[in-house]
Amino acid sequence: MSFDDFRDKLLNISDSAIKYSKDLSIPSAEIFVFSQSSTDLSDQNGKIDIKDGVKQGVGIRVAIGKKLGFASCTGFEEEPIKGALKQAHSLAKVSPENPLFNGFTPDSIRANEGTLDSRLFDVDAIALGKNIDEISNQIDKNDKRLTFTYFGATVSIEGYAVGTTEGCLSSTLSSGTGSFAYVIAMEAGERSTGSWSEFSRGIHSLEGIGETASKRALRGLGKKDFEGTEILPTVWESKTTASFLLYPFFTGTSGSGYVEKRNPWGEKLDKELAVKELNVIDDGINPDYLTTHAIDTEGTPRRKTTIVENGVLKSFLYNRMYGHAVGKESTGNARREGAGGTPFENVPSSVPNKIIVQTGSKSLEDQISEIDKGILVPTLPLGIENFNPITGDFSSSSTDSFLILKGQIVYPIKNITVAGNFNDTLMNIQTIGSDRIPTSNPIDSPSMTFRGHTIGS
Amino acid sequence: MNSDYIFDLLHEAVEEGEKNGAKFVEARFDDYQINTIDLTNDIIKESSSKRRRGTGVMAYYNGTPGYSFTPEVNSEGVKAAANRAAKLAITADPRNRMKMEFIERPAIKDKAVPIIKKHPKDYEFQDKLELLKRGTIAIKENVDATTIQGQYGEFYGEKYFVNSEGSEIYWVPIVVDMRVRADIVENGKRATAMDGMGQSQGLEFFDQERNSPEVVGANAGKWCKEQLDVVSAPTGKQKVLAGSTLGGVIVHESFGHLSEADFVVTGMSPIADRLGEKLGNDLVTIIDEGVTPYGGWFFPYDDQGTKAGRTVIVENGILKGYLHDRGTAQKMNTEPTANSRALSFMFPSICRMKNTYFEKGDLTEEEAIEMVGDGIYAISWRGGTASFDGNFLFNCSRGYLIEKGEVTKPIKTASLSGNVLELLKHVEGTTKNMILRGNFFGGCGKGEQFPLPVGMGGPEVVMDQVLVGGAQ
Repeated sequence: MSFDDFRDKLLNISDSAIKYSKDLSIPSAEIFVFSQSSTDLSDQNGKIDIKDGVKQGVGIRVAIGKKLGFASCTGFEEEPIKGALKQAHSLAKVSPENPLFNGFTPDSIRANEGTLDSRLFDVDAIALGKNIDEISNQIDKNDKRLTFTYFGATVSIEGYAVGTTEGCLSSTLSSGTGSFAYVIAMEAGERSTGSWSEFSRGIHSLEGIGETASKRALRGLGKKDFEGTEILPTVWESKTTASFLLYPFFTGTSGSGYVEKRNPWGEKLDKELAVKELNVIDDGINPDYLTTHAIDTEGTPRRKTTIVENGVLKSFLYNRMYGHAVGKESTGNARREGAGGTPFENVPSSVPNKIIVQTGSKSLEDQISEIDKGILVPTLPLGIENFNPITGDFSSSSTDSFLILKGQIVYPIKNITVAGNFNDTLMNIQTIGSDRIPTSNPIDSPSMTFRGHTIGS
Repeated sequence: MNSDYIFDLLHEAVEEGEKNGAKFVEARFDDYQINTIDLTNDIIKESSSKRRRGTGVMAYYNGTPGYSFTPEVNSEGVKAAANRAAKLAITADPRNRMKMEFIERPAIKDKAVPIIKKHPKDYEFQDKLELLKRGTIAIKENVDATTIQGQYGEFYGEKYFVNSEGSEIYWVPIVVDMRVRADIVENGKRATAMDGMGQSQGLEFFDQERNSPEVVGANAGKWCKEQLDVVSAPTGKQKVLAGSTLGGVIVHESFGHLSEADFVVTGMSPIADRLGEKLGNDLVTIIDEGVTPYGGWFFPYDDQGTKAGRTVIVENGILKGYLHDRGTAQKMNTEPTANSRALSFMFPSICRMKNTYFEKGDLTEEEAIEMVGDGIYAISWRGGTASFDGNFLFNCSRGYLIEKGEVTKPIKTASLSGNVLELLKHVEGTTKNMILRGNFFGGCGKGEQFPLPVGMGGPEVVMDQVLVGGAQ
């Protein structure tokens, strides 16, 4: 198999399904064809798990005027694809009109494809095993405090094609590898964890994965209590800031949320959203990002979109339908989000491709040195993802934060609550860091210092 | 699908795996139909119909598993998957330091089909849409909402299982679920509330008054309005009455996962090697069950073909057992508990919960509130997270102050956190009323396998020393 063969296969299935739809007298259809082959190997304290397989399926939207139906099937066999076409057609017939719908993509314009690495076709279970060995060798086996290790390595090649009865027939591919280490350190009954990961669209570096995870586990030993409840500045490491900001940016940039009046930033377009130092873009076309594709899942070319400029909210992110609803073009943000790694089972929604928060000038160490009393947050506190999307309130629990006193990290602290409000958080950015560590998530951010979080014990 | 054809395919997979060197092979076929309707502001935002079918093959070589799968429903596809699974197991075996072979057991041949009065496949799309319309009308009668959303979901299908022992098992999963939600913006204040649940039943579930669209819609409307005038919960450690939903989430997320035996045999779980130890007080009994008298999900077999029974994890505070697959059970010299479950044919089965709950006690709801005295009545939650040292945090999205034994004012979103191993020592009582949910929306996450259907809920639980947090 080569990337060209893979692309041809996806396009052929999409094209065939378009022909089936015409045979069935379906007036308008969109065919989304997805395939991902992957191999995963993990070693959980000596327990090996290994799997491979190809996730394949087709998602079909049928339109009768503005009446829409969606159906999907796993696999590329003719009978279930035809079954899904009929089912989507049946649903469209009985559905009331969706006044927002503005038709399927009519053309096949593509942005540039991200980096593809054909060496990944040759990465098998044996190669992944060697990666795990190398990561494992980075752990100090003589340190008896390191009681548990969990390593994993994965390789995947995926792609999708979009075809419509209106004339679109386009495809996009991606490839990637990733590795992680998760380590538990124990001392005197106390437990501390550390993790680290690396990834790439090609072959990634294994350097420091095991070593970093074990160092992060060990530095959390010797925790002390935090007494009382205080409003304190908090310093968040780069990867942690990215995870933290993921939630407000997912809901706040949503074009569908804006149209449906449930976007908490809905009244802030062209208004001050954040401190003026904050600049944020959505970058769907950087060739090195894991999330980059030439087209979105409706067939619209990917692009860059400015979201926040000097603290002012400049744009939401749209797919075709929600962009049209407010007189805008799609920003190439139609993604089919859903659990289980089967995007073909979901209809497109407007979701960030890759949010990039622009860097500031201060290192993490500089930020810490400026804090008289505060908290260093090295990993995402538990429960932040459960924030209230309407009010923006969040309340979370951190078990591996550190107390900062007079510009120095003094000791790790036991369980604390970290509470605040996302709507206030962006106005409470005190410092934006100069570091921005790439992540596999749909957002990368430098470290940041925030004012105004309530810290309790 | 023709069941004889599917069983024949699975037998071919088993034979192919064995022919390629596997010492034991399990093959399973899922054929699921998953239908949803999303009605937002009277517009059908999404109506979808998903068919998810395919074959997964787990091959074992010296106690090392290898897994592969295929969506192809033909001999060539399933044999190729079996071949790959066998080769993966053989390749991985030399590096596996925790081999989990298991003894052979007698073959099982069985069919398990729940009694469904109004199967969703026999009803039209419009019948289900009408349920949502009735729910949203009930919201409008109770609140002038900015956004009204109704979601309906149904999941049904067939599961087939064959293994090297000659087992042939067929069973039928099913669930129906309906949620309605109201959002409101009034004088710059925002609020949201939701009601509804699912169950392994047919559409007759919504004929019951508590689960009718009229009642869940009215609840969502009333609760949303109520959220416009909330007080901050007092922070710090205090007594909490966790409602059925929240109590179920706490026992599932913070304790249930620690009892999954794959985490136990590797030493990752903090309750590894602690069988027989008193972890909680005498009032704490925790159960995992496949088919319960209280409803929830219907899970008669797991994905290794083990018949599901009732597993006592904790009894009167003492750790009695873990949630096993066949390999972990053999390694720990005990019986498998039918907890080997997979999200779909695209994933290997791993140790997962089924319907997990605190055993009911003898308190009425009024007695439980009185027992709290001054504290929080935490009813609804938004998500939940727990870590492997037993720490947990759940956000209470609908809750009330309890003052002098009376429920008084609604509270702002607050977090409830603590360490479950401490919490079990501070359970002060459970109510005699039990609600188990078999939800379509949401589910359990472990690694990449989310959302796995699980039953959640239980009695209401009085617990002390819960850390309540929130912005002031």
